[in-house]
This record gives sequence, C-alpha cells and structure tokens, in this order.
Amino acid sequence: ASSPPPAFDLRHYWTSFISEIDARLDAAVPVRYPSRVHEAMRYSVLSGGAKRAPSVMCVAACELVGGRERRDAAFPTACALEMVHAASLVHDDLPCMDAASLRRGRPSTHALYGVDMAILAGDALFPLAYEHVTSATPLALVSEHAVVQVLAEIARTVGSTGMAAGQFLDLEGGSSSESQVLDVLGRKFGEMAECSAACGGLLGGADDEEVGMLRRYGRAVGVLYQLVDDILMEEKEGVGSNGRSMGKMRSNASVVDVVGMDRALEIVEGLREKAKNHLQGFEEKYGERVLPLYSFVDYAVDRGFVIQEAIPASIAKV
Amino acid sequence: GKEAAALATEFDFKGYMLSKAAAVNRALDLAVPLVEPRRIHEAMRYSLLAGGKRVRPVLCIAACELAGGHESLGMPPALAVEMIHTMSLIHDDLPCMDDDDLRRGQPTCHRAFGEPLAVLAGDALLALAFRTLSNPQSYPSSLSVPPSRIVRAVAELARCVGSEGLVAGQVVDIESTGRAEPVPIERLEYIHLHKTAALLEASVVIGAIIGGGSDPQVERLRRYAQCIGLLFQVVDDILDVTKSSQELGKTAGKDLASDKTTYPKLMGLEKSREFAEELNRDAKQQLEDFDREKAAPLVHLANYIAYRQK
Repeated sequence: ASSPPPAFDLRHYWTSFISEIDARLDAAVPVRYPSRVHEAMRYSVLSGGAKRAPSVMCVAACELVGGRERRDAAFPTACALEMVHAASLVHDDLPCMDAASLRRGRPSTHALYGVDMAILAGDALFPLAYEHVTSATPLALVSEHAVVQVLAEIARTVGSTGMAAGQFLDLEGGSSSESQVLDVLGRKFGEMAECSAACGGLLGGADDEEVGMLRRYGRAVGVLYQLVDDILMEEKEGVGSNGRSMGKMRSNASVVDVVGMDRALEIVEGLREKAKNHLQGFEEKYGERVLPLYSFVDYAVDRGFVIQEAIPASIAKV
Repeated sequence: GKEAAALATEFDFKGYMLSKAAAVNRALDLAVPLVEPRRIHEAMRYSLLAGGKRVRPVLCIAACELAGGHESLGMPPALAVEMIHTMSLIHDDLPCMDDDDLRRGQPTCHRAFGEPLAVLAGDALLALAFRTLSNPQSYPSSLSVPPSRIVRAVAELARCVGSEGLVAGQVVDIESTGRAEPVPIERLEYIHLHKTAALLEASVVIGAIIGGGSDPQVERLRRYAQCIGLLFQVVDDILDVTKSSQELGKTAGKDLASDKTTYPKLMGLEKSREFAEELNRDAKQQLEDFDREKAAPLVHLANYIAYRQK
C-alpha cells in the first residue's frame, strides 16, 4: 500500500474534531440530582487531555462510507464510545486494580471523588452510553436495525471477552510469550478501536463486507497505537503519554519487555502494513475519502504532532 | 375481593414460579459459558447462578406474556434484568460500599474471587445484560422482534439502572447513611424507588415492550411495578425487624444497628403493614383492565412480594 499524499491535514482534522466532540459530551453528561455522581461522571469523561481516539475513528469511518453529510449519524455513538471508554478507565484506575492516582496528569476519579463514587460513576456511564445512542441517533439518517447492531457491538466490546477480559489478563500478569502480550493489547485496546470503526461503518451504511474490513483495520490500528506507546515509553523510561504515575505502566504487560525492542519494531511495521492493506478496497471505491483512515495508521507510528494537551511540567518531572 | 380469592385457588402460583424460575436458570446457565478467560466467567457464574427466587425475570416474562408475547420472547429481557440485579449486588457488597461478606448464605463475590475480579465481573454482567437484550440472535429465530421494540427496551433499561435510576438510589443511600439527623420520609422513598423499585419497574416495562404491549398497557404495568417496588422495600424493612438472621439468610437487624432509616422506625410496625396493604391494592388496580386469567401471575406476584416471609 502506498502512503497518502501529504495533502490531508490530520492535525487540523483531529483538533477541530476534539472541540466538536467535547462540546457534545458536555451536553450529553449534564449535572442532575444526585449531583455528586454526575459530577464524577463529567469529570471522568471531560477532564481534559483526552485524545478522543475512539470517537474520531468512529466518525471518520462513518464519513468514509456515508460521506461527510452523514457524519451526524455517528456522533451519538461516538459520544457513547467515549463514555464507555471513560468508564473502563475509571474502574481500571481503582486502588484494587491498577491503583493509579493520576490520569492524564490529573487526579483520577477515585482520588478526587472517593472509591465508592468512582465505582458508581463507572456503573452509570455504561448505561448512559446505551441510552445516548437510543435517544440521540437521528433516525432520519440511520435505521433502527443499525442502531440495534451498534448497541450490541458496544456491549460485546466492553464485556467479558473484550475489554474486561483484557484488564483481567493484564492484572493477572504472567504474560510471557509474544502471543500472550499481543492478546492483552488486542483485548484492552484493539477491541475499542475495532468497535469504533465497525460502528462508524454501520452508521454510515456500510455493507457486511465493508464492516468486516473496518473491523480488522480498526483492531490493527488500536494495537499498533498502543504498541508504539510501549516502545516510546521504553525509550523515554519516563512518564507515559497519558501522564500516569511512574512505576505503573498503562499496561502491566509491556510488549518490549517480552519480545525485545527489535522484534517490537518488526511487529509495528507488520501491523502498519496490515492496517493499510485493509483500506485498499476502500481506496478503489471512495478515493480520497479514505485519506483520514490512512493518516491514522501513520500517526499511530510516527506521532508527527502532539494531539493532546501538554502534560504540566510539575507532573512530568515526578 | 371474592373473585380474586376464587382465582387464587384456580391458579397454581407456586408451580408457576418454580417452572419459570427453572426456565430462567437454564437460560442463565447457557448465557454465560465458561470460555476464556475462565476466571472472570467463573466469577460471573458464581454470583449469577447462586440461586435466588428470580423475582425480576419472572416478572419480566409474566409482563411479556400479559402483553401478548411468548415466554421465549421474554427470556432475553428477563436474563438482562437478572444480570443487572446480580451486578448491582456484587458492586454493592464491595468493601468500599456496604462491605458485606455474605450473600445468600455464601461468601460474596469479592470474598470468593478478590476485589478486582468482583469489579470486573460486575462490569461484564452489565455489558452482557445489554448485549443479551440488544442482540437479535438472543431471540428465538422463529419470532422476529421489531428493532424498534429493542431500541425502546434498551432505552428503558438504561434509564432505570443509570445515574437517575438504580445508581441514583445507591448514591443517595450512601449520602444518607451515618448522619446524625434522621432521614426524612421523602428521601427514604427516593432511595427505595430508585434502588429497588427502578429495576422492578424496568423488569415489567421491558417485558411488556418486547412482548408487544400498547403504550397505555405499558404505562399501566409501569404503575403496577412502581407500587410493588415500594412494597418490596416496605416488606423488607418489616422482615428485618421481625425475623432472625437464620430465617432471612442474611444479617438481620442490620438496618437498626447501622442507624439506617426504615419504615417501621419511621411510622411504626402497624402503620408499615397498613402501608404495604395499600400498595398491594394499588398495584392490583392497575391490572383490572387486562384479561383476568392472563393477569393472574402478576396479581399473585404482588401477593407474593407482600406476604413473603424472607
């Protein structure tokens, strides 16, 4: 697969997307009675610095198959993906799990609101995600059949064979082979990206074959992104790009530790090629509309710019 | 009065409950296979299959059948509400919440599997509930369920369990515990309506929606469910002061010991019993427009909740 021409400005596309999705999330998670749990939910979803990778993937996949005029079809689901993503992170950070007191350079939800509120905020964000999809998806653009598929897809992704499994396997540790660490990465990070791309496709009107391609593309990109993060962390030997406290890596199963740096870089190249291969069919059909998806692959590897807010110096030094 | 009594003799409620609960147990067993990673599925199964009377799923199926649907159509929503009920118990029992060691006479999930797995098993059951409800493949292939019904049911369930439903009740409960001043009755009712009644409401309402009930039918059944939801809690409070731990299978008198406000404490035992009677009557009133024979299970379920001994 050839690289896209540099005409597509991913940085601009992504940054303007972040302000758009943040505004929608701001409206989708209001403070109601009882206020404390709603504040904890808002803090978890809106506490700044999030790259919004799941939602940008979802909307870009929808635009690919449905065109830009169809993008409003994807936004409620994009918001829902951010909600379930945030809910998982809140529970992953708990003292009995990864015991992370920082998230993106700020206190994690339980550090600020207490462990009980953090559990309940997570428990409430999952259903809010489903509710938001049902109430906000424009039925003028999307069939109820597609809405049902999206709901089932999200529920499968966060469940006992997907992200919850990834977190469990990661906590359990003992991943000593390449396939084991890649399995953990796949479940913890590949699943969410796969779900995001597949949902975007479903909402954009993709056929089964296209959804399948988006699914495999998304999974490859999700794993690729995380793998490169691991490598960069290994090189820096410092704070991860998510600004979490030292001594606790985002994932306990570091691929680099298990397979070595050379092999890790090989896997990266393999995944980059695989992800792009899944896009070839789309390129023939949709031409330039596929450029955002190509650029995600290159960004995952090259990190040509910083998409999130800078980590405050006081925390970076800890 | 008399007619209801006559019906009570005709309808074999005990047999109905046992056969429906058995069907629910079989379906729950199949809904959580022991796949990899095994440990997380073991934890889910441990709590989900620990027994219990399956009141919520039976209510769901009964409402589905009353609305015109077959039992097999009501099974996916029935499983969903039982999964969510189990999930809320697992998270409620955690050390940072109620810190309970026993549930239905067995070690709680986190005592048996550790805290991280208890958190994850709860999250996974919550996800599986919505997956079961929304996945068209959960339903019998001979009956195609209109997607509009599924979308409506998902919206309803999500609302009843979220930050303005079940979770709201837990939050206000936490905020009201251990305070010097007594909890006012409005707040107590808020807690119960959200913590207990919301899921009973969802059980009945999504059963009726998936079963194909009309909007007025769904709303009447919603009011029925709200009454029995509050009834459930009033009876729970009464049992807590009148029964021993052994009879209940859980720590009795805990509400008194922890200074939790209860109906008997607030209005006295006799007035609490009268209130329970009133709620039971109101609940049954909502069923009067339905076919009498078909409504029998829900009539008896209300009695069952009102007169249970544990």
